[in-house]
Amino acid sequence: MSRLINNVHFSAIILVLLTLISTLLAQSNIQENLLALLVTLSVVIKGQQIVDIFMELNKVQAKWRWFLLSYTILIPTILAIIIYI
Amino acid sequence: MTNIVLFDAINNVPVSKQASAHKLPGDLAMWVFIVMELSVFAIFFIAFAVTQRIQSDMFSEGRATLNASTGLLCTLALIVSSYFVALAVEAIRKGQNLAASRRLILAMLSATVYLALKLTEYVTLVELGFDLSTNTFYTLYFLITGFHFMHVLLGMVIVGYMGIKARKDIYSPTDCSGFEAGASYWHMVDLVWIIVFFLIYIIH
Repeated sequence: MSRLINNVHFSAIILVLLTLISTLLAQSNIQENLLALLVTLSVVIKGQQIVDIFMELNKVQAKWRWFLLSYTILIPTILAIIIYI
Repeated sequence: MTNIVLFDAINNVPVSKQASAHKLPGDLAMWVFIVMELSVFAIFFIAFAVTQRIQSDMFSEGRATLNASTGLLCTLALIVSSYFVALAVEAIRKGQNLAASRRLILAMLSATVYLALKLTEYVTLVELGFDLSTNTFYTLYFLITGFHFMHVLLGMVIVGYMGIKARKDIYSPTDCSGFEAGASYWHMVDLVWIIVFFLIYIIH
């Protein structure tokens, strides 16, 4: 099995697990700021997995990869800041 | 100062040069389109967050009418769909057109689950008396998720077209940029939903 296939399998598992964890956290009585921090972090990691593994931008010119990675980092962070701070 | 250059063990090529040798998957035009689409969604997301900040009570009440389980299942359906599309790209690069088309069928079935769930949620909300004109929350909710829903529909048309071409054995490992472009579009749709799910169903 090629390295790509392994990565895709692993990435899909991470995406599913983080989605389940985020949903459980949202349903729990966790402190608001901690919830914001954890779910924002999970979205950033999920975005990185999609950009690097599914879109395969970890193999191309850095400017394209970093443009999309910055989107997945900045947008959830900005949204969390607007809503919580 | 000593410069350390890493070499690939198999090809004896500097890793930095090897990495830069990979081209962008698909066509440049598709990537420009993806960047534009992501920018439009970013504006929607920021509008939703700012309005939530201003009208937090209205958004809390609106969010309470949504079912988090539906959001979760929609997310899982799109992740599974993206997973099969990524596996289809791998199959195409190995020259396995038939395997790729089968994986695309699985991707479309998974996307159909998303469509069914979203339509069910829309019907439930409308039956409860909530629509675009109810208040700002529902206006933004229907606009953002509806716009994304349209992208999923377009993506399914693209994936279906890719599947038909793959079944006709049209793609080859050296000529599959159209397939890669379609796959990249589908992953963009998944990426956008990850943020929609976070913004509308998770944050409260």
